[in-house]
Amino acid sequence: MKTRITELLGIEYPIIQGGMAWVAEHRLAAAVSEAGGLGIIGAASAPAEVVREEIRKAKKLTDKPVGVNIMLMNPNAPEVAKVILEEGVKVVTTGAGNPARFMKDFKDAGVKVIPVVASVAMAKMMERCGADAVVAEGTESGGHIGSATTMCLVPQVADAVGIPVVAAGGIGDGRGFAAALMLGAEAVQMGTRFIVAKESIVHQNYKDKVIKAKDIDSEVTGMSTGHPVRQIRNPMTREYLRLEKEGAGLEELESLTLGALRRAVMDGDTVNGTLMAGQIAGLVRKEQTCREMIEEIMREAQMLLERKADLRI
Amino acid sequence: MFERVAAIIREQLNMENADIKMQSSFKEDMNVDSLDLFELVMALEEEFDIEIPSQDLEQLITVGAVVEYLKNKGAE
Repeated sequence: MKTRITELLGIEYPIIQGGMAWVAEHRLAAAVSEAGGLGIIGAASAPAEVVREEIRKAKKLTDKPVGVNIMLMNPNAPEVAKVILEEGVKVVTTGAGNPARFMKDFKDAGVKVIPVVASVAMAKMMERCGADAVVAEGTESGGHIGSATTMCLVPQVADAVGIPVVAAGGIGDGRGFAAALMLGAEAVQMGTRFIVAKESIVHQNYKDKVIKAKDIDSEVTGMSTGHPVRQIRNPMTREYLRLEKEGAGLEELESLTLGALRRAVMDGDTVNGTLMAGQIAGLVRKEQTCREMIEEIMREAQMLLERKADLRI
Repeated sequence: MFERVAAIIREQLNMENADIKMQSSFKEDMNVDSLDLFELVMALEEEFDIEIPSQDLEQLITVGAVVEYLKNKGAE
């Protein structure tokens, strides 16, 4: 399938894997790229040298392009940016902030820059400072979220910018993929479904929680802190929300979440860990390889689009 | 200048009755987050017919800082 995104990135299918902290390491990223999508290594708060190792390991597993997601709020973002340039990474997605200060270096090196945005104004600003595309991420997404939904955000961003738009948040199968195209996107970014990929190193307990999650199991914590996070509800979220309701301070709240994602991903702690996942977890039903997932989504989308082509209004 | 900036803040961020002062901090006093700030900057650009590069957003911490910034940019 050809869109401006597949052309821009040199990939076969317009499916990008989200740069999830701890989850998006080299094996998952390489498997997605090898299957024809774009795998992303999530730098999150990892030290720059760890990111360098991850990039090198991914390159050993695939010759296809693999991107890196930089979390801009992280104090070590400049070092990670330097590693990205040194290792010859060709695609960068950026989250949690404004990538303007790195834009010139990336552009000079031919790195494609795709900021994740949660509003129209931010998308416009990113286009102006040289972004090659934007990921319009709705509040259905897992992890750190904005407030507009994918359904509302994507068409508004698509109207506002000339660069291609990637839809993210709430997309997990061929139906979501086809819908994203209808909204004006030229690719999708998915995270939650890839958490349960066979190549994903996420602890089995966590994967089981995603697979068992129902539609209403998605919870947002941290509204009061200004940094809301979507995850699957568990004893930790209940405690967090109780404290939040009581007006607990940032320090007390952070004592619950500090290291909680690592506990969930690495140790399989589903009681005190943070099970970050999007609302679409309710739709994710089984472990598959990245190739099986991507091919299934593309097949389903193709079938749906053909079937609907006969519709007359 | 201050009055015009304050009016834009009130209109763009739906804060019709906000008590806005020069020293008001967007984050601490007005609970304005980074997305709101993008919104505000786009509106300021239009009102004052200038361009505010997004790397300059970090220095716009208070209303006074915005006024000062606009003056330095030669906004009228």
